[in-house]
Amino acid sequence: MKKCRWKMWCAKFSPGKELSVIARSKAPKQSHEIASAKRRPRNDNMFMQKYLTLFSLSWQRHLEVRSDFFFERIRSLSIMVSLYFLWSALISYREGLLGYTRQQLLTYVLVMTLLRAFVLACVTDRIPTEISRGKISDILLRPLSYMGFWATQDAANKSLNLISAILEVLVFTFLVSAPFFVSTNPLLHLAFIATTLGAMVLYFQMSFLLGVMGFWTAQSWGPRFCFEIILEFCAGAYFPIDFLPRGVQLVLSVLPFPYLIFYPLSIYLGKATNQEILMCFLMQAIWIGFFVYLNRVLWRKGLKVYGAEGR
Amino acid sequence: MAPKVDKIKKYLRIWGILVTNSFRTQMSTSLGSTGYLIGKLLRFAFFLVYLLAIFQHVPRLEEYNVAEVVLFFMTFNLIDVGSQFLFRGMYGIKYLIEEGDFDKILTQPAHPLFRISSMNVDLLDLLTLIPILAVTCFTVTKLTHTVTGKDFFAYLFLLLNGMVISYAFHVIMGSLSVRTQEMEGAIWIYRDVMTLGRFPVSIYTDALRLLFVTAFPIGIMISFPSQALMGLLSWWGGVYAVLLSTMFHLAAQKFWKNTLKEYTSISS
Repeated sequence: MKKCRWKMWCAKFSPGKELSVIARSKAPKQSHEIASAKRRPRNDNMFMQKYLTLFSLSWQRHLEVRSDFFFERIRSLSIMVSLYFLWSALISYREGLLGYTRQQLLTYVLVMTLLRAFVLACVTDRIPTEISRGKISDILLRPLSYMGFWATQDAANKSLNLISAILEVLVFTFLVSAPFFVSTNPLLHLAFIATTLGAMVLYFQMSFLLGVMGFWTAQSWGPRFCFEIILEFCAGAYFPIDFLPRGVQLVLSVLPFPYLIFYPLSIYLGKATNQEILMCFLMQAIWIGFFVYLNRVLWRKGLKVYGAEGR
Repeated sequence: MAPKVDKIKKYLRIWGILVTNSFRTQMSTSLGSTGYLIGKLLRFAFFLVYLLAIFQHVPRLEEYNVAEVVLFFMTFNLIDVGSQFLFRGMYGIKYLIEEGDFDKILTQPAHPLFRISSMNVDLLDLLTLIPILAVTCFTVTKLTHTVTGKDFFAYLFLLLNGMVISYAFHVIMGSLSVRTQEMEGAIWIYRDVMTLGRFPVSIYTDALRLLFVTAFPIGIMISFPSQALMGLLSWWGGVYAVLLSTMFHLAAQKFWKNTLKEYTSISS
């Protein structure tokens, strides 16, 4: 009977490593069973299937609550339209500005809209509410990693946003006959895709970290709002940061923000040197490592203080 | 005359009570509110820094110099933050209906639109207005055009006119919320499109410019007051702005009344 109960426990918690750690500390006698469970070959098909199902459910949910999605896109569209016409007017009588050609600057605005949809669209802002209402208990009981759960939901949200953003940019480009810069160097395209994926992972980790703050305060919406404002401006999600004074650019280059939008875009536009491309990869890796570590530590600490008050 | 004064006093007292309640609510979430306040100030500061940084490299935007462009941006902020400060309650109309509180408000001896608009007066917005006003005054001193008393009066009058249009939009969106209980997000569309007015509307295409002085008059709300202060707005421009805001206001009030007639009180 005891063994049977333990099997149920393992079935519930083994995919979420964070909980198996707690289980180990609470039940040291059964540590050999955990080890044997770990040695058991994982059914990869099943593993993928549950995340694919979750992905599909997330898509359905987003498409069901279409108004939220629609309003998010309107916001993005209004930023694109205002910045496009601002830059268009600013360089209407010039060949270029600060090393950008007219075509590159306007492409910056258009590709920035795509990156906003792919990198900065995130659903982890719901984590604090789930914690304060005790809803995460339901997710913790499922055979899923908690971070995997949110990463899958996030991927579904990003994919929808990206599809919509591509359509918006295509229609807008056609309507206003926008000049669109496309690099002829295939290596730059590869580097751009790789750094964009890196930026996506980095932003997810940063946003997840803010979500985890929900374990300690139910008011994390204030600091998150503040963080998002800082991030958007320092990431180059409104204007290219090389318009700022050199000293400010140097400070920003050691922070994670410009590696989300500005550097991937500089690579796409062919403005980044080889050294800057390598630097972008390196900084993304360092910051991802840092935030992954911080998330692990804070998540474990958070679970210890979590009291499921809403339940 | 006396009953009118009494009525104004009554409404001021109601407003005071609602503001106090709202302030207490905000103080109970001090961390969140502080983060929100800092975020708003940072957004304003960042935009300003970027605008000034860009104008280090570009002398003009269309026919406007840096001080004039900043004036457009400041006027946008005054209207945007002022509207949020005064009409924020309209954002939560859907929840009032869901909770049955909307019916309670309809039975109270105050105009429901006033009561709902003033419900969540955000004092943080009032704090945000302080640096905005300071920068606006500084910008006015930097204009190449010598601002006369007439220009200044026209600016204030057209700002007020802009607030009337903003209120009309809030009422229309609120009415849509009552009718559909799904359109509370529509107010965010209004706010997002409003952001197009951060810069002079002359930068947009002809079609958008036409839209911004007719159906979605952000040009009239933001660009007209700024142009009046710079002495660039003709008198008929001012007359057109007043006519349009009156029309919007009357249409919004009519729509609200019709909405109330069709309201079924289904939630309570």
